[in-house]
Amino acid sequence: MTSDSGIRWAALLAFSALWAAGCTSMKTPATASVAVSAAAVDSAAGAGGAEYAPGEMNSARDKMALANKAMAAKDYRLANDLAVQAQADATLAQSKANSAKAKTAADALQDDIRILREELDRARK
Amino acid sequence: MKRLALLTLAVALCACGTVPRTTDLLDQTRTDYRAAQNNPSVAQYATVEMTQAGHAMDLANAASDHAESADRIDKLAYLAKQQIAVTQEAAKQKSAEALIASSVKERDRMRLAQRTNEADTAKSDTAQANLVARAAVDEAALAQHRTDEALRANREAQARSAQLEAQLADLSAKQTARGLVITLGDVLFAVDVARLNSAGMQTAQKLADVLQQNPKRSVSIEGYTDSTGTAEHNQELSERRAGAVRGALQGMGVADSRVSARGYGQSNPVASNDTSQNRQLNRRVEIVLSDEGGKFTQR
Repeated sequence: MTSDSGIRWAALLAFSALWAAGCTSMKTPATASVAVSAAAVDSAAGAGGAEYAPGEMNSARDKMALANKAMAAKDYRLANDLAVQAQADATLAQSKANSAKAKTAADALQDDIRILREELDRARK
Repeated sequence: MKRLALLTLAVALCACGTVPRTTDLLDQTRTDYRAAQNNPSVAQYATVEMTQAGHAMDLANAASDHAESADRIDKLAYLAKQQIAVTQEAAKQKSAEALIASSVKERDRMRLAQRTNEADTAKSDTAQANLVARAAVDEAALAQHRTDEALRANREAQARSAQLEAQLADLSAKQTARGLVITLGDVLFAVDVARLNSAGMQTAQKLADVLQQNPKRSVSIEGYTDSTGTAEHNQELSERRAGAVRGALQGMGVADSRVSARGYGQSNPVASNDTSQNRQLNRRVEIVLSDEGGKFTQR
């Protein structure tokens, strides 16, 4: 019995320790997440996210603001969740901006080629 | 220990036996994921992004399988959904970039073709200009040649004219209203006979030479007499003498068509018939030379 109860206590203690550790250590990943997300939002803004993907950019900025609020309120779990979502939104905004710019460039080239082809056809007549 | 093991097993069994929980967002995310899987340009251009989307999808599916809270499932589904969208955008971007790369090549090829065209056009313009210039040179040469020809012809005509003048001077030709007139006097004929004597033949030969050197000119031979004797006789004599000159010229190789002969009898005397000297002047054959065109000025 004593050995059984000892093990039970030990298990309980370990569990409690892990739980406590989990709670306190949430602050660190949340801080990191918020920092990474802030960088992602800046990067997306620099790539023209506001122009090409205004929905995603606004969402990312709103969530960043909420994440910072949650950090201030020491709600690290919420801060982490919001930061991770903000990062996902910012990444998508940047992707959309990049693909839109590539498409614009490709379209411009296609126009160039069309005009050149017309000129060549005229010249051959 | 046994109880702990049993508890663990029970928890494990319980986990295995849980009914998966799904959400609208997760369902939507799964649809998006399948669309990305079926997109060939994703497979071609966005494999890295698709792998990350797959991990995010796995996490959301695991939460669903473990019947975790809807909030937890939605959080993971949201991240997966955004990553799937990123994957689609990455595929779009890469295919646009691939199009750009091929377009740049195509554009450069066409620009080259255009420049080649322009160069060809310029070359053809130059060739055209050269052709025009050469034609102008040819034209100038031709004009020069014509000028030279004209000058040469002119010089020849002048030379011929000078020669003719000298020969005609030798024949005592006179410039009259009817043109150049050579008078063969009575002394060149035997008396009252329509036959040229040797001096007359010499004069006829000179005239034949002139006609041979001036092939475009022809002659009109006119016979005249004095008023001695009957008009009929005189008419006949004048005709015979004119004919004798024509015969002589024909005998010297002058074409028949270039020589006409006519008798005028005692008409058109050049002097009064009162003295023998004057009558001798009236007995004559006049040879009228046509112009270069073979035409005569009519009396």
